[in-house]
Amino acid sequence: MTAKHPSCRAIEVDLVVTATGDAESRSAERVHRHLDGCAPCREEFGRYRAVDQVARGLRAVPAPEAVAQSRAGLESRLADLRQRRVAYRIFPSPLGHILVGRSEHGIALVEYLGGGTTLRASRLGRLEGVEAVEGGPELEGLQRELIEYIGGARRDLDWTLDWRLTTSDFSRKVLEATAAIPYGAVASYAGVARRIGRPSAVRAVAQALRWNPLPIVVPCHRVIGTSGRLTGYAGDKLGLKQRLLSVEGIKLRAARRDFSVVRDAMYALDEGEVAYCLPTCGSIGTRSLAKLTLFASRESAEARGLRPCTDCRPDLHPLPAA
Amino acid sequence: MGLAPFETVVASHHAEIYRYLLRLTSRSGDADDLSQETFLRAYRAWESLGDGANVRAWLFTIATNLARNYFRSESRRRRAYAGVSDVRTDVDPASPEEERRFRETRVLVERVVDGLPLKQRLAFVLRKLHDLEYEAIGRSLKCSPESARAHVFQALKKIRLGLNGHELPMMESVR
Repeated sequence: MTAKHPSCRAIEVDLVVTATGDAESRSAERVHRHLDGCAPCREEFGRYRAVDQVARGLRAVPAPEAVAQSRAGLESRLADLRQRRVAYRIFPSPLGHILVGRSEHGIALVEYLGGGTTLRASRLGRLEGVEAVEGGPELEGLQRELIEYIGGARRDLDWTLDWRLTTSDFSRKVLEATAAIPYGAVASYAGVARRIGRPSAVRAVAQALRWNPLPIVVPCHRVIGTSGRLTGYAGDKLGLKQRLLSVEGIKLRAARRDFSVVRDAMYALDEGEVAYCLPTCGSIGTRSLAKLTLFASRESAEARGLRPCTDCRPDLHPLPAA
Repeated sequence: MGLAPFETVVASHHAEIYRYLLRLTSRSGDADDLSQETFLRAYRAWESLGDGANVRAWLFTIATNLARNYFRSESRRRRAYAGVSDVRTDVDPASPEEERRFRETRVLVERVVDGLPLKQRLAFVLRKLHDLEYEAIGRSLKCSPESARAHVFQALKKIRLGLNGHELPMMESVR
C-alpha cells in the first residue's frame, strides 16, 4: 500500500465518521471538499459507506414465535416474582433503625434492626422465597405514620396486613388475638392463650409473639406476664416494650431487671364482661391477670365500647391521672 | 409514583432486547435466557430508578452487563462465532446480482464483527444496529462517550480492512 498524502491522513477519521453517518456538519463539509479533489479518498469513502450499510443489515430478525415464547416465559416469571416481592424501607426511629416491608397484599414485615442500618441486619434478606427489593418514596407514608405512632401522636395504624410471613395457623391466631388488644391496654400471655381456646399453650403463645413479623402494628408489646412483669420483647428488647407502653399511658415501675405494670393505677376488665372496674372493685384486685385486661385510662376502655361498672363507678371516682 | 407500570416496559422493549442478545450470542436459547434475566433484574431495580431516566438505554446497560458475563466464558465466545447461528438478518435486495454481492459481503462483515474485541463489538452493535447515543453506549460499557466513539471507529476500520480486495455492493453516489 502506498503511503497516504498528509492531507488524506489528516482527514481519515472525519472521512470514516462522515461516511458512516456519525459526523457533525462542519467536519462533513470538510470531508466533502477534500473528496471533490481526491479520487482515492472518494473510493475509500464509498467503501465505508458500503460497510456501514451492510453492517446495519446485520440486525437480527428473530422468528416471531421465538420472541413471543420468550416474552411469555418472562411474564410468568415476573408474575411469580411479584407474588414473592417485598419492597422495604429502612429508617431511623426513637426505637433504633426500623425496617418496614410491603408486598402487593399489604404490610408483611416490621423489624427492629438493633444496631444495624441495612438489609444485612434484617431477617428479610434471609427469608426463603422472599424477594426483597429496596422500596421507593411510596413507603415514606408508612415511615411517617410509624414515627408518629411511636411518639404518641397517632393511636392507630390503619394498615392492610399481609400475614404470609407468620409461620403457622397457630401463630396467626395468636397475632390476631393480640391485634385485638386496644391501645392503652395490656393483657397477659395466658390471657391470649385463653382467648384462642388453648389455655395451656402459654409458652407457645410467647414463642409466637417472639417471632411476630409485625411488631408495633400487631401490638405484642401489650402482652405481659401474669405476674404483671413485662417478661420479654422481641428477644432482648425489653426497653422498647417499656417505652411503647409508656407512650400509651401504661403505668410501670422498675422491678429487678424488668418492669411491672402498676395494677393499682389501672382500670380492669374481667373476662366476658362489658363493664370496666376500679382496681378496688370486689375481688378484682386479686384476680389472675390471665382473666383480665388492664386499661391505662377510662378513655381507652370506653373507646372499645366498654361502660363503667355500676358498683364501683369509675366514672364517679376516676383514678388519679398520672 | 411517576413511573409507568413495569408491564409497559416489557411490552415496549422486550423484542428489541431479545434481538440485541440474539445478535450477540447467535443462539435463540441464550437470547431467551439473557433477555428474561435482563427484565427480571430491571424489575427488581425498577422502583429505585429515578423519574425521567432513559429506560431503553438502562435496559441495554443491563443486557450488556449480562452479555459481558456470558462472554467471560471463553468457550461460549468461540462457539458464538463458530457459525452455529440462529440469526437471520434483513436483506434489501435490489437485483439478484446485487443481492448475491450483498450476501457475500454480509458474511464477511459478520465474521469480522464476531471476531472483534468484545468492547468494540458491543459498541458497534449498540451504535449501528440499535442506534444508541454514545452517551448511553459509554454507560453500558462503563467508559466515556469518547471511548465508545473510538471503539466504533476501530470496529469500522477493522471491518473495512477485512473487506480489502473484495468487490462491494454498489452504494448510492458519494454525495
